Amino acid sequence: MSVVAHRSQVLTLYKDLLHHSSKFAAYNFRDYAVRRTRDAFHAAKNETDPVKIEALIRNAERQLEVVKRQSLISQLYGGEKLVVENPKNQKILRRH
Amino acid sequence: MFRALVRPASTIYRQAAIKASPAATVARMPLGLTFARTYASAGLARSDVEKRVLDILAGFNKVDSNKISLSANFSKDLGLDSLDTVEVVMAIEEEFSIEIPDKDADEIKSAAQAVDYISKRDDAH
Repeated sequence: MSVVAHRSQVLTLYKDLLHHSSKFAAYNFRDYAVRRTRDAFHAAKNETDPVKIEALIRNAERQLEVVKRQSLISQLYGGEKLVVENPKNQKILRRH
Repeated sequence: MFRALVRPASTIYRQAAIKASPAATVARMPLGLTFARTYASAGLARSDVEKRVLDILAGFNKVDSNKISLSANFSKDLGLDSLDTVEVVMAIEEEFSIEIPDKDADEIKSAAQAVDYISKRDDAH
């Protein structure tokens, strides 16, 4: 597969992963999924080995399925918001 | 006195309705008030769109706030890679409640291009 084809595939995966990660109702899972997606894609952005790229893409696709399923479940059983999610408290937290 | 207060508003509504769509129905309300439902598609002010797009860019930690301008290229001037650009586009999608297809998103490489694209989308608000 050409580099150009990989590029758009990877960017679409990145977008989908971030999109679904940000749908977790639970703050900690949401934050973790978004952060983990960002870190993993940025860590691998200079990868040139086609075999490794292929493996990373397969892995990302599997993770996307997990994130889609789990974020949906999280929405079904979403509990109360955490104290840190209150915008009023975020201001206080940032100050310290 | 009441009518005098009300009239200017009702003329504005009527004009807005005409501008938004010639087919828009203007329902007569009691008391001589005209009521027309207007939608955001009646037009986002370009200056407003520009400000909101620049605010989004300013919200990114990676972006040097002194370099932000409408013409700045995301990758060349602001030092964003393609992954960061995806995040900028996602933030724009969220801000204006639109979905930008991948092929259009690829064309957005500066704030000015984003503003152009948003002004073309009449479902943006």
